[in-house]
Formats: sequence, structure tokens, C-alpha cells
Amino acid sequence: MTAYKRQFYPGASSPAKNRRKVMDPKVKLKKLRDVSMDDVVRIMGHRNPGEDYKSIHPPIEEGKEPNCPIRKLVEPIEGAKKGDRIRYIQFTDSVYFAPISPYQRAWMYLSRYRGIDTGTLSGRQIIEVRERDLEKLAKEMIDNETFDPALTGIRGATVHGHACRLDENGLMFDAWQRYIWDKNKKEVVYVKDQVAVPLDRKISVGKPASMADLKKRTTIFRADGVDMRDDKEVTAYGLRIHKLRTFGGYQPFNVKDV
Amino acid sequence: MHMAAKQKDKLFMDAVKKKFKEDPTDMETKYYCYGGWKQSKSKVEFQKSAMAIAKKRGFPMMNEDIGIPLGQRAWMPYQMSHTDIYVEADDLHCVNNTAIQQAWDDIRRTVLVGLDSPHGTIEKRLGKEVTPETINAYLEAVNHTMPGGAIVQEHMAEVNPALVWDSYVKVYSGDDELIDEIDKRFVIDINKLFPKAQADQLKKAIGKTLMQAVRVPTIVGRLMDGATVSRHAAMQISMAFISSYKLAAGEAAIADFAYSAKHQSINMGTMMPARRARGPNEPGGIPFGFFADMIQSDRVYPDDPGRAVLETVGLGAAIFDQVYLGGYMSGGVGFTQYATATYTDNILEDYVYHAIDVIKDKYGGFCKLDPTKYDELMKLGDDVNAYALEMYERYPAIMETHFGGSQRATVAAATTGIAGSMATGIADCGLNMWYLSMLQHKERTGRLGFYGYDLQDQCGSANSFSYRSDEGLPAELRGPNYPNYAMNVGHLSGYSGIAKASHVARGDAFTANPYIRVAFADPSLVFDFANITKEIGRGGLREFVPAGERTAVIKG
Repeated sequence: MTAYKRQFYPGASSPAKNRRKVMDPKVKLKKLRDVSMDDVVRIMGHRNPGEDYKSIHPPIEEGKEPNCPIRKLVEPIEGAKKGDRIRYIQFTDSVYFAPISPYQRAWMYLSRYRGIDTGTLSGRQIIEVRERDLEKLAKEMIDNETFDPALTGIRGATVHGHACRLDENGLMFDAWQRYIWDKNKKEVVYVKDQVAVPLDRKISVGKPASMADLKKRTTIFRADGVDMRDDKEVTAYGLRIHKLRTFGGYQPFNVKDV
Repeated sequence: MHMAAKQKDKLFMDAVKKKFKEDPTDMETKYYCYGGWKQSKSKVEFQKSAMAIAKKRGFPMMNEDIGIPLGQRAWMPYQMSHTDIYVEADDLHCVNNTAIQQAWDDIRRTVLVGLDSPHGTIEKRLGKEVTPETINAYLEAVNHTMPGGAIVQEHMAEVNPALVWDSYVKVYSGDDELIDEIDKRFVIDINKLFPKAQADQLKKAIGKTLMQAVRVPTIVGRLMDGATVSRHAAMQISMAFISSYKLAAGEAAIADFAYSAKHQSINMGTMMPARRARGPNEPGGIPFGFFADMIQSDRVYPDDPGRAVLETVGLGAAIFDQVYLGGYMSGGVGFTQYATATYTDNILEDYVYHAIDVIKDKYGGFCKLDPTKYDELMKLGDDVNAYALEMYERYPAIMETHFGGSQRATVAAATTGIAGSMATGIADCGLNMWYLSMLQHKERTGRLGFYGYDLQDQCGSANSFSYRSDEGLPAELRGPNYPNYAMNVGHLSGYSGIAKASHVARGDAFTANPYIRVAFADPSLVFDFANITKEIGRGGLREFVPAGERTAVIKG
């Protein structure tokens, strides 16, 4: 018997392929920038660079863990071992061909990371992790191809903007203006942290991608990009799920085309 | 109006052109340059008022400069759908809008009490004759007692009539001969108020029953709660019977009047479980079919079924989302901004009239799609939903107008659900299409609503056709307290519209209850249930005059 091979997502269109790519943990996502870890820590605003991690319990090895088979099976992530607080990073993704969208983030996170708690809304996506693990994850997510400086926002609160039109520099709206356009360098720079506390210095997250590039990279189906209905397999997959759920709840004896 | 959906200009064009100076298809605009909250007339007024209050009371109050800098983007006015009324979002908050309040007041303070049972008691047990003359005398008496007049005991305190001018009792029946004998001032005239085809259906359904539409004073419902309405009505009805039929006040038979008024009556809201901590007759207990029957657009505009559906969704957003889920259940102030999506700017209008055109062009008209041909139903849903989602993508101005994903999800799903209802004439098919829309929306855009919003949409496909108790009911009999529907804003308004849609498409005169349908046709109601958006707009313009005000007993 052949071992089951994860398929991740159906479809032959570019958003479908991009969805498969971000969800497949074996695919290494492209690193497009290198924001220093200290700057990632500053933007998140949970601790100052160099400051010790605050803990909410002693290191696990110092405690008396109950004799539990699950604890033996599952190795804690590093932050859990050390007793770190659980902190968060939250991204807002524009509807205008941002590289990724909230549900894709959830599926990507759950496919690629352990020890996370993630919540999905229409514009923003929060991920909560033990702090030292969060920082590694956050740096990966800011540096890699799922982030675009203009169309991805790092926002703890006051998150609206994902559905607003873009500004004259192509940036997603942010009522707090946590990031601004540096017209000399033609880069996006953060001037406030996640919850809009001003930063001591500007932090560049680099140059936005061109719209042509974003349209190739995005995981979002749109009528003015790749329409979902043009990807027959994705469309059929969605309709099939609905039909199976409908008949499964209503006339399970009539479910024959599984 | 409905033909406009076929024209080059979409129905939402006027609104978005008034909202934004850029072309509605432009993806770019300017921000951070509009003067903040000062671009809003109502915010300026609020700030001035709050500063004066703070000065008077000696400590701070509201202050527009605290917290998020409001007004970093162009402050949008809102067009009340299918009217020319423009208001600010603040004007649509249910605490600011007297029309929304009165709509709920008028629903809550209504209880329908049959006269057949008490008439039987009077004739058979007490041996007194009931005639049109005695009924007229009773109606005069009960229109004295219901607002707060004393009628049996002497030396009684009474209610100031200027506070309770909105309270009254009227009757209606399917028996034209009986109604002809009743004093016209006390009659809700089915023949006069409804188109003939609807009147005939209603009279047949009601039969010879003589029903009272009781309107308890608005101020009573506000001072106590929804549960008090039937009690107030029962007491005052009993007193009116005692007086008008010269009965003994302490006789056991009198209890029959109170019993029938309390327990053989129709409350607008059914009882909810104790964990909701509400009495009966509160908004969480209103079945969607009852709610659909309150909406009167299809009585006044019988040739425009789309309008009736949209008006149902509109008032559903105000009552279920803003008042019930936003106020009763959640608390706070935030639900208004979200709920406006369904009744402003003609966006849902455009989608629904487009769907109606599709049903007529591709499926031969309403109720022609065989619900057993499920793949065809899904094809319709797929087409209609794709149109709605595509509009958001083609017109960034409406994407920004519905800047919350829950708004877009509600509007697209309501459109698709309404289309399913109208095409088949079956509300459950519409409900099922709602969930098709939600699943497709999530798949297409990679986003849907807020955290908890999506919960019921992930599992709704499976329960949309279930009639088994605890798992399902016909859509018309489901309500805000149906499992899964109890806590998630943005759905109840659409479900109400879906229930309405199937029945207006069939040409039915009512959705679930003919008595409620007739009761809300009454022109003596303070809120006009045939013109929902216009009334809420008048509230926003501060032109609506509500009942229940206390100024009559305040000096100066």
C-alpha cells in the first residue's frame, strides 16, 4: 500500500500553486530581505533587544512534570522548555495582491510550525507562540516571500486597511501610520511598533515588489488577477465540499460520489 | 429600479461617487490629509457637546482626540438604500437613531390576543350576549385601559396620556361581515391595506377569528422588558371586559380573560433558554418568519419583491445585529458600523437585483428551479456569488465602503441565499446557498469574517436542510437563538431576508404568521414597516418622532 502523500491544495493556477508552496513545509520559502533580529524585536515591542525573556513558569526540567505519556511523546518547543511568556505577531494582508491572506497564513503556520496558536480574521492574522520561538518565526515571516513591505502590515491593534485602496505610494492604509514611505531610498520604513508606540529609530523593511511581481506571487484569487472560477479544479473542490457537507447532514445515505 | 442592475451604471454608483472623489475603479487614493475627525459634522458636534458636559460635571467625558486618530481617510457619508437620504455612520447608531429604537419598540410592545376564547367565556359561562355593539363598547373601553386608564376601581392613579399616546387596541378578522359591523376606527382593514390577492390569502388563513392587535405603551416596554407586554395587555384587557360587559371583578371566570391574554396570545418573540437571561418577547426570540411578516414592503410595493427582501435584511441588521447582538448580547458600541453594509449605499441592492435578473433570464423566473436538481441550484449560487465577489474586486470604492470582511461576507452570502430562495421558492435552499457563498468566499479570497464569525459558516452546509429537533427547523421557524446562530453578528439579517425571499417569490401574502403580517400593516404604528430604510434615514436626519418620550412630565 502506497503511503499517503500530502497534497496541500488543488488547482493548476498560479494562486493554487503558490498556496501549495506556502503550505508545504518541505519547500523553503525565498528570503527576500534581512531585517535584523533586534529590529524584529523592536517592531514587535514585547521586549527590548538584549533584555532577558520574561518567564511565566520555571524551566520544565526544573519542575516536577507528572508521569504523562503525551509529555513523553511531544517534545516542548524551546520557549516552553524555558518557561517563556506567550506573545504574538499579527500581520494585516491587503486584498490588493498581497503575497498571502489570513486563511493561507493559518494553514501555512499550522503546516510549518509546532506550539502555535493562530487566529484568523478578514484582514489580520495573529499567531501566538512562546516568545523566543515567536521571534524566530517572526523574522522568517518578515524576511521571506510571504511579506511585502507595502501590502503586509505588522499591527497589534487598529488593524483596518486590508480592504482600503492603496495610497499614492502603493502602501496599504494604516490609521496609525506605523510605516511610511521613504521617498529617497524608495523603501518602507517602520516608525512605530505593532501597537503604534513610536520607535527610537526608523527600521527599513525594504522595497515593495512591483504589482506585476505580486500578481505572480499572490495566493489570492481575484477577478482582475486569476479568477478562482478559471481554476476548474479549485472551483470543483469547493463545490464538492459544500455538496458533501450538505448531503452528509441531510441525506447521508445519498452520498455516493465521495 | 430593479432594471438598473442591467444597465452600465451599477446601483451603487451614486453612493460611491458621493463618498469618494476618485473613480470607483481606481485602486489608489490619498490618506492622512483630510483633517481627522473634524471632517465629520457629527464628530464636531459630539466634541463640542462632550466638552460642555465635561465642563459642567467637572471631569472628562468623551473626547475625539483620545485613542485612534479618527478620520485618517475620507469620512464617508452613507446613502440609505433605495432612498435619496445621506447620513453619517453616527446617525445610524441605534442609541442615536430614534427610528431604529422605535422599530424595536413597536415590535416588542405588540401582542396579539384573540377574542374568540373570551367571547366564548362571556356567552357560554357568563350567559351574556356578544354582538357587534358589545364588541365596539369593549374596544372603546380597552382603548381607555390599554394606555393606562382606570375603569373598575375608584380613586385610582392613571397614566398621563401624553406619555402613552402610542398605545391602542385594534381588531381584524377574515370575516368581512363581522368586520363591517365593527367601528372602523378600531379596525385594521385587510381589504383596504393589502392588494386583493394578498388580502384573499390572509383572510382565508385567519378565517373567522377576531384578533386584537394590542399596542402597549412604548414607555412600558422600556421601563420593564418585553415579557411585561403580555402582562400589561392581559390586565388591561381583563379590566375592559369587566367594565364593558358588567362582570364581577372577583369572579373566577375573569381569570379566563387573563389566561387567554397571557397564554393564548402571540408574542413577537418566543421564549429563549434561561442561559440567555432574557424574558419572552425579546429580540433573540423572534423567528425569522415572524420577522419577515413584520416587513410590509411587499404589501405597499407588490411588484417589487426584491425591495421587500432588502427591507427585511435592512431591519434585520438594525434589530438583530445592532440592538440584539450588539447591545443585549455583546454590549459596547461597535456593531453599527458593521451592520450598515446591508442597508446603505445600494450595494446589496445591486447584487440582489442582478440575482433576480439571472433567475428570470436563465431559470425562467421565480420558483422555477427544481430544488431536487441540486447541481443546478449550486450553479445558480456559484454564478450569483461570483458576481457579488467580483464587484468588490472590480470596484475598489465598494471594497473600501465595506472595509470589514464580515460586511462583504454577509452581503455576498445574503445575495446568494436570497437567489436560492427566490429561484426555488424554498427558504432552506436559500439558507444552503448562503453557506455555499461562505465556503467559496473563503476559498477565493483567503479570508472571510472575524474570529467567531466564520464558525457557523463552516458547518452550516450540513445543517441547512435538517428539520430534526435540536438540529434544525424550517428556515422560517429558526431564529436568533437557533444553535450556532446565537452569537455571531452579521447572519441573522440575511437569514430573515432568505425566509422572506422564498415567500415573496411564491406570491405568498405571508411568510410564517398571517396574524403578525396584518398587525404590522396598521398605519397607527409609529414606525412605518413598509419603508424601512426611509424611516431609519429619517431617524438619522433627526426628523423621526418616536413615542415613549418623557418630556410631558418634565418641567421647562
